[in-house]
Amino acid sequence: MMTLLGISPQLLFGQVLIGLINGVFYAMMSLGVAIIFGMLRIGNFVHGAQYMLGAFGAWYLMHLPDLFPGLGLPSLGYWWALILVPLAVGAIGAIMERLFIRRVYDLEHAYGLLLTVGLAMVIEGLFNVGYGAAGQQYDIPGSLRGGVNLGFMFLPNYRLWVIVAGISVCIATWYTIERTRLGAYLRAATENPDLVRAFGINVPRMLMLTYAFGVGLAGLAGVMAAPIYQVSPQMGQSIIITIFAVVVIGGMGSISGAIFTGLMLGMIEGLTKVFWPQASTTVIFVIMAIVLVFRPAGLFGKETVAAHAADMSTARPDGILENGRLWLVILGIGGAVLPFLVYPVFGMKILCLALFACAYNLIFGYVGLLAFGHAAFYGSSAYVAAYTAASWGFPTELAILSGVAMATLIGALFGWLAIRRQGLYFAMITLALAQLVYFYAIQAPWTHGEDGIQSVPRGYLFGFIDLSQPLNMYYFVLTVFLIGFAAIYRIVRSPFGQVLKSIRENEPRAVSLGYSTDRFKLIAFTLSAMLAGLAGGTKAIVFQIASLADLYFMTSADALLMTLIGGVGTLLGPVVGAVIVVTMQKEFATLGSWVIVVQGSAFVLCVLFLRKGVVGTLEDWLAARAERRRIASGGAPAPVAKGVHS
Amino acid sequence: MSGLSVRDLQGWYGESQALHGMNFEVARGEVVTLLGRNGAGKTTTLRAIMGLLRKRSGEVRFGGENLIGRMPEYIARRGIAYCPEERGIFASLTVEENLFLPPVVAEGGMALDDIYTLFPNIAERRNSQGTKLSGGEQQMLAIARILRTGATLLLLDEPTEGLAPVIVQQIGTVIRKLKERGFTVLLVEQNVRFASRLADRHYVVEHGTVIDTLTAADVAGDFERIQNYLKV
Amino acid sequence: MTTPAGDNIIEARGLTKRFHGFSAVSGVDLDVRRHSIHALIGPNGAGKTTFFNLITKVLQPSEGTIRFNGEDITDESPARVARRGIVRSFQISAIFPRMTVAENVRIALQRPTGVSFRFWQSERTLSLLESRVDELLDAVGLLPLRDQTAAGLPYGRKRALELATTLALEPELLLLDEPTSGLGGEDVERISALIRQVAANRTILMVEHNLSVVARLADKITVLARGKVLAEGPYSDVSTDPRVIEAYIGGDE
Ligand SMILES: Nc1ncnc2c1ncn2[C@@H]1O[C@H](COP(=O)(O)OP(=O)(O)OP(=O)(O)O)[C@@H](O)[C@H]1O
Ligand SMILES: Nc1ncnc2c1ncn2[C@@H]1O[C@H](COP(=O)(O)OP(=O)(O)OP(=O)(O)O)[C@@H](O)[C@H]1O
Ligand SMILES: [Mg+2]
Ligand SMILES: [Mg+2]
Repeated sequence: MMTLLGISPQLLFGQVLIGLINGVFYAMMSLGVAIIFGMLRIGNFVHGAQYMLGAFGAWYLMHLPDLFPGLGLPSLGYWWALILVPLAVGAIGAIMERLFIRRVYDLEHAYGLLLTVGLAMVIEGLFNVGYGAAGQQYDIPGSLRGGVNLGFMFLPNYRLWVIVAGISVCIATWYTIERTRLGAYLRAATENPDLVRAFGINVPRMLMLTYAFGVGLAGLAGVMAAPIYQVSPQMGQSIIITIFAVVVIGGMGSISGAIFTGLMLGMIEGLTKVFWPQASTTVIFVIMAIVLVFRPAGLFGKETVAAHAADMSTARPDGILENGRLWLVILGIGGAVLPFLVYPVFGMKILCLALFACAYNLIFGYVGLLAFGHAAFYGSSAYVAAYTAASWGFPTELAILSGVAMATLIGALFGWLAIRRQGLYFAMITLALAQLVYFYAIQAPWTHGEDGIQSVPRGYLFGFIDLSQPLNMYYFVLTVFLIGFAAIYRIVRSPFGQVLKSIRENEPRAVSLGYSTDRFKLIAFTLSAMLAGLAGGTKAIVFQIASLADLYFMTSADALLMTLIGGVGTLLGPVVGAVIVVTMQKEFATLGSWVIVVQGSAFVLCVLFLRKGVVGTLEDWLAARAERRRIASGGAPAPVAKGVHS
Repeated sequence: MSGLSVRDLQGWYGESQALHGMNFEVARGEVVTLLGRNGAGKTTTLRAIMGLLRKRSGEVRFGGENLIGRMPEYIARRGIAYCPEERGIFASLTVEENLFLPPVVAEGGMALDDIYTLFPNIAERRNSQGTKLSGGEQQMLAIARILRTGATLLLLDEPTEGLAPVIVQQIGTVIRKLKERGFTVLLVEQNVRFASRLADRHYVVEHGTVIDTLTAADVAGDFERIQNYLKV
Repeated sequence: MTTPAGDNIIEARGLTKRFHGFSAVSGVDLDVRRHSIHALIGPNGAGKTTFFNLITKVLQPSEGTIRFNGEDITDESPARVARRGIVRSFQISAIFPRMTVAENVRIALQRPTGVSFRFWQSERTLSLLESRVDELLDAVGLLPLRDQTAAGLPYGRKRALELATTLALEPELLLLDEPTSGLGGEDVERISALIRQVAANRTILMVEHNLSVVARLADKITVLARGKVLAEGPYSDVSTDPRVIEAYIGGDE
């Protein structure tokens, strides 16, 4: 037998086949995500959890007699599952749409993203409580056992079936949406649902069914996956970010793009496993970065109508809560007494995360870009600071600055790649890029994989202040925080900040006034990354560890959550958000495996009930009170501002 | 089928009231205009009739049925079609898809060929993306789109805005033809000259109520009066 | 600068824009004289807005050249062209809705000062622009409303604000796309008066469907139809040209 670069054809074709199977799942999943994104403008982060539900559904049907002994239920096999489970998962999807998703259609993408992240955490958390990390076995149905010998390799029947069935489903879906009137209705309904309703179409029902259908596809993929992969609570989590990357590469909103890209990338991943195994987890993200440079809209994406920037700042610029000088002093004093009220470590955790959230707020709240990969800056800075301090013996301040430099560099690079995109697209790109850094950290030798870099020395500040003294360390962190806080206030209230604001409000107009808006956004993004790095580097020194959790996407989600809970675009919101989130995490730490469920519920509740955040709500209330007083003292009511559309 | 009758229609945007009791009638086969300054509440009235303004009260009778509290999709299927001020052309659809979007709700709509004869630009650009049309072409498409559906009552919000004079005249002709065919038209206009040549009756709207009613004859005799209403 | 600027501020030669084979603008030669009000009229879809987009470089021409003050600007970026002094208004009013009226104007004044990248300075360094802000707002009659948020303005006032913002850039060439559309009678008067007022010392190229406005304001009119120049000249000539009547004005019933 001939060999290619020392690799036998069996191995090569075997991997390509495995890749193709993966590709079929990528295609089915990204198809669902693309439909839900394209039609409902929702970045369906729960898609992975819904896929997992499909696999568990099949497993449940198989084990009905064991699960409900005494009811005399039959064990329903694969073919039953193939029909019943997608329907059931679709129905669950419909209920989720009804209860949750529907409420965020009219809102900014950030809410949809946080909501679906929260729902995913709840669902996966619940299964984790029930089944732990262990996978369940699901047997290949009898009729599909065996296989065909192709001469150069053995092709199992079940895999052949998955390929044929998966691709057929994809094509049928594509046909229904692109070639029938239904697709036009759906696309129109996402743009202007009210008008479509005024033409006599029941839009709410249509959207519900669309969501249910996309989710049903995930359920179907789950059933088909059950005999191949382990049925486990984590199976969806590990795939969802890859799916987002596939959708970005294929081109947002392109149905055929999602299918084709899914299949291709599966195979490319398979091939990479043969030739360069270490790169196989990152290859998709690297391809995404390359595609973005040359085709910002994705391979098959149409140049979409420029989505407007997220406009969800809840600040009232003249309110007392936005007076930076005042609050710098108050926070300074409050921070100074804090270590006498709580453990300094707890205080330092709040300060690090508050700085992180403030940095995030700079790009999200003040520029309106929904970044979802700030973990990359926070985490990479933490790793570099930890490594330079632990292995090279850098003095503390230099170690942190090295971390900041790394975060700034990565920020500038990621910003350059992503800045031309907006909205959810921007979120997915930054998320996927951050994931690249995460996978790098898993594999690189100097980061020590799962262990992370531990026992980082705190060292001496400027060579003589002993930071292993808790209070010394605390006041150092407080100083860093105050510097970061002041810097952000300065940036926002600078001539540069004014331009950022105008870009957020109306970008085409800012361009027509002569501003190169991309450059402004890029600078703001880089500054935000830099400050996030400052938080991450400091954190590594405080806790004497840099670990994968710092780079994990949940850290990015936490930044978003803290900012939202506190109040987007407000001066104090991120700080308040950090206090709330850190306190919550501390209180719930005792819940064990329930903690994910509780945290996910917090995400969901925040989106449903606390949209303006604590500070935003407070500012509204203060403004309303001031207005009442003014009227009471004889002033005329201020004119009600007309709602701003589009 | 009878016409449209609006009684004490009130409407709100959030807490602020935009309609303070509108009263007017449009008999079947009539063309009636709502005139008034920017911000008087004309658009809001149309949106309230269509059910797009959720918070509303009073009575909107069409074909004997009160439509207050109904959803827009229901109202549309009773035979009312709406052409919004901002045109509402869908960017993600081609011109032809835009044209075919509103489902046919009754017989008697205009045939496609007639529509294309009326608006040759649209025929020519039928495969472009909807919002790639010029401003005026979008306006034409927005009108053309609802002529197909067979709705008997057309709500047109400033249909001549941004159109070349020659097209404005054509639209006038179209509305006259529609009237001959028995369509009922409720028209919102700023172009008084245009409106005065078409309408059977004009209602002058101010601060969300009807402050005056003028017949076609009134206007012909006293163009000044109407102009005065529209001055600040 | 090899050629002297001459009397034309804009010289477009053979300007063409094709969209997937469809020519929205084809082979247009157009000169705009310095310090004149030049109107561009024509049927819907004639290519007027596209022509604006070509001049401001929002679109890249498929063929042809554009000279501004004698310099070739055909390959420049939109922001660069804006900085040269070509500024446009939009067919739909373009303002920064949640900034105050004064801030709207100030953001435009700030651009030529070159401080816009200074994220380390306080915005109070911008306060020296305030008197100019007030001057401009006064010119368009918005001074009493300077601290309101722009979103709350009535439609006509929004257009006035947009104009003030545009003027803040001291444009040599001002492009106005349907400045009176969507306005009631009174507002039309106000905006026309404003246009005449700001036309001193600069050049205005405008698209407008309201013929009485065009008749009153424009020194010269170019009629576009199907992407080509159909007629050119003063209003009295153009408005009696039978081809223009057929394609654009229509018989007056
Ligand atoms: N979405 C909205 N939210 C709050 N108030 C609104 C909204 N839309 C309109 N209004 C207010 O309702 C009132 C009536 O507005 P409407 O749009 O009906 O006026 P109009 O007569 O159609 O004016 P125009 O000639 O400018 O179209 C105005 O005072 C306006 O400010
Ligand atoms: N981006 C685009 N892609 C495809 N076709 C386009 C695009 N932009 C404009 N067109 C087409 O080019 C032609 C000219 O459009 P343009 O907007 O310049 O017209 P206009 O003269 O401004 O008309 P109006 O008076 O109606 O605003 C139209 O037929 C339009 O459909
Ligand atoms: Mg209106
Ligand atoms: Mg135009």
